[in-house]
Amino acid sequence: MKRNSYIGIWFRDFMDIFKHEMHLIFTDAGVMIIFFLAGLAYPLLYNLIYLNGLLEDTPIAVVDNSDCAESRRFINEIDATRECRIAYHCISMNEAEKLMQERKVNGIIYFPEDFGKKLNRLQTATVSLYTDMSSFLYYKNALLGTNMVMLHEIGKIQIERYAAMGYSGQEASQIVQAIPYEDNNPYNNAFSYRFFLVSAILFIIIQQTMFYGMSLLVGTAREENRSFATLPDKLEGNGIGRVILGRGMAYWLIYMGIGIYIALIVPAIFGFPQKGSYIDMIILVTIFVTDCVMFSEACSSLITKRESVFVLFLFMSVVCLFLTGTSWPVFSFPRFWKIFSYIFPTTFGCRGFININAAGGNLWTIHDQIIILTIQTIVYYCISYISIYIENWLIKHKKEIKETKTRLAAKAGIDLEEDKIIIAGKSDEN
Amino acid sequence: MNVSWHNIKAIILRELRIIRKRPIYIMGSVVTMAFCSIFFLSFFKDGLPHDLPIAVVDYDNSSLSRSFAQQLNSTQLGKVIKYDTFKEAREDLQKGKITSICVIPEGMYANVSANRRPEFTFYINSEYFVGGALAYKDILTMVNLANGAVQREVLRAKGLTENEIIGRIQPIQTDIHEIGNQYTNYGYYLVNILLPGMLEMTVIIILIYSLGAELKYGTSRHLLKTSGGSMLTALIGKLIVYTVLFSAIGLIMIILLYHWMHFPINGSIWNMFIDVILMILASEGVAIFIIGLLPIPRLALSIGALYSILGFSLSGFTLPIETMPPYIQGLAVAFPLRHYYLFYCQEVIFGAGFAGWWQEVIHMLVFLLLPLSVMARLRKAYILQNFPKN
Repeated sequence: MKRNSYIGIWFRDFMDIFKHEMHLIFTDAGVMIIFFLAGLAYPLLYNLIYLNGLLEDTPIAVVDNSDCAESRRFINEIDATRECRIAYHCISMNEAEKLMQERKVNGIIYFPEDFGKKLNRLQTATVSLYTDMSSFLYYKNALLGTNMVMLHEIGKIQIERYAAMGYSGQEASQIVQAIPYEDNNPYNNAFSYRFFLVSAILFIIIQQTMFYGMSLLVGTAREENRSFATLPDKLEGNGIGRVILGRGMAYWLIYMGIGIYIALIVPAIFGFPQKGSYIDMIILVTIFVTDCVMFSEACSSLITKRESVFVLFLFMSVVCLFLTGTSWPVFSFPRFWKIFSYIFPTTFGCRGFININAAGGNLWTIHDQIIILTIQTIVYYCISYISIYIENWLIKHKKEIKETKTRLAAKAGIDLEEDKIIIAGKSDEN
Repeated sequence: MNVSWHNIKAIILRELRIIRKRPIYIMGSVVTMAFCSIFFLSFFKDGLPHDLPIAVVDYDNSSLSRSFAQQLNSTQLGKVIKYDTFKEAREDLQKGKITSICVIPEGMYANVSANRRPEFTFYINSEYFVGGALAYKDILTMVNLANGAVQREVLRAKGLTENEIIGRIQPIQTDIHEIGNQYTNYGYYLVNILLPGMLEMTVIIILIYSLGAELKYGTSRHLLKTSGGSMLTALIGKLIVYTVLFSAIGLIMIILLYHWMHFPINGSIWNMFIDVILMILASEGVAIFIIGLLPIPRLALSIGALYSILGFSLSGFTLPIETMPPYIQGLAVAFPLRHYYLFYCQEVIFGAGFAGWWQEVIHMLVFLLLPLSVMARLRKAYILQNFPKN
């Protein structure tokens, strides 16, 4: 190594800080739980919870007052769909309602008495569908199942009616369906809940566990009257960069491992679509992890107590999940929350992950996300820089600040000593 | 163990003093819940998304294709963006900038007129779930309407009356009754459970923190001294303070949802008060259980955090429990939020009343037995302070 050149010293300081941070991480049980238990086991657990990801055969009760051939065919066809299963045939709506309230069925299909008659009279017959809205998936299944059967039945009945009018075969189908259609759902064929939700959760796990773990260490340092921002003594006031990068390097190395595990290995274990190339994914993970390191360094500088990060910021995980836009569409975000979502790396990391992994995109597809992630990295680096600068200024001027505080307190008539005793709880010892 | 009112009062006053001196308790409960309420209620204020971008690649450029695009654009759900080539549209679909693509083939109008049945194709991106699903529904509706329009023209040309035509175009129709949320409003659906979930999380974390802080700052012996040496008194005193605090938050939350925001409710708001208070009590039971098992504040808080985050998934309000593997389904009963949700289904969705939810009351009350199993252990930890403090 170069002896005393600037780069040599820089690099030595950097390595010292890096090693020190590594030591802190691996000797702290709380951080180890967050990084390795949560970071490694949570992706697996969420995959297990959402393993099927599809609701099939939603139980439906049928009340068939018309009791005709058409209604029976309708019922059989609904039973045959993937979405629904006819669980009960009921005599009356009362009976069906009771089953629904007991949650034995999640939907009721009701055929009025005139169903068959109206069909015979070439009029429009009505089927009523009652669905349980306690989960939208029940609604989706009952609606989709009934609608598909309805469309199919309509086609069949129309063909029969046109045949009666004297059109048959090709001619009839030309009238019934002049524009046949083909639907493609290339990225998530069966509307599986797992693929979109777990994809978003995976990247949120990376960001949140890193933030919680780092905050734990920053809080511990502050409690023990150290600071996360201690600079090497020899360079008075300089060297903030190597503190940020040296500390960051420790987390970066650990999280490149966890990140690749989460972005490449977990999806492979659970059979996710992995349509993008590995290289693109590794580049995305690298950029995302770098951003998360800077984000965590910037935000964790606010944490003063070890445990407070859980008390204050745990709910942000759920908020971040909605801000990714995988569930509620981005186009419908209120303007304020759209701007708010630019704070978090996950907003863009998750979208990048989905666009590469499920939609088979490449780096060009996600270049918007990459640019924003890079800008975030730079901004958070600057914020960390400023916060360390302020922290150091505070440490150096501790004495003056304390004096000023005492002076001000004396003026206002507050007894600081008593305050301290109450807050730290030391008076309670005796 | 003798529980005296005098000691309980002393504990309550002591706890109030701690809350006053450490802002984190109010920050972590009142401020967190206020932020979450504002966030979720404003985030889902539309109820149902509208103006979702749908790409139309029009290779036909006829009056028929233009009118199709216009009609799609005029639906509440859709907003049409025109693309010249499929490639550009496909790239934007991959980027998630649009929800779906409709491809209108060349010569569609001519082919429809000549009864040649041109095929219409559309693609959706359902990795962005709600947007994709709604765009799918919208396009499907419009295609079927377009088919109906063509059919009507043919039948009119044959000289049928409008009544006869309707019977032929639509022999069957469905009318749909959404029980419990007739507006199919996503905000109602999600916020109804997300906010109580946040409350459950807050209760567990704050209570673990409060009980853990006694160990961390070495004040646990003073706590026991104040309570006259009785663990039960100490817990009762602390719980009275926090139960009042959280119940106040919980009741305000219920009033906020069902009274001020007018979320649909079939049953009675009074029964929902019972539900939320039971959930708070059950969550307190869980919190004491966790800190009692692991009287190390940092570990207890980590475990509490991991546990309460899982509560959202395992309550089964998004993806129903019955789709999960059997060994996960069993786990779900260990979360108060799951029972809150089942209670809510009976009261809010079906309005079934006591007959519907009495079992959930028992389930939530069972959580109150959890602290009993760890009380001796916690007391020992409080006296000996023999666990790592951080």
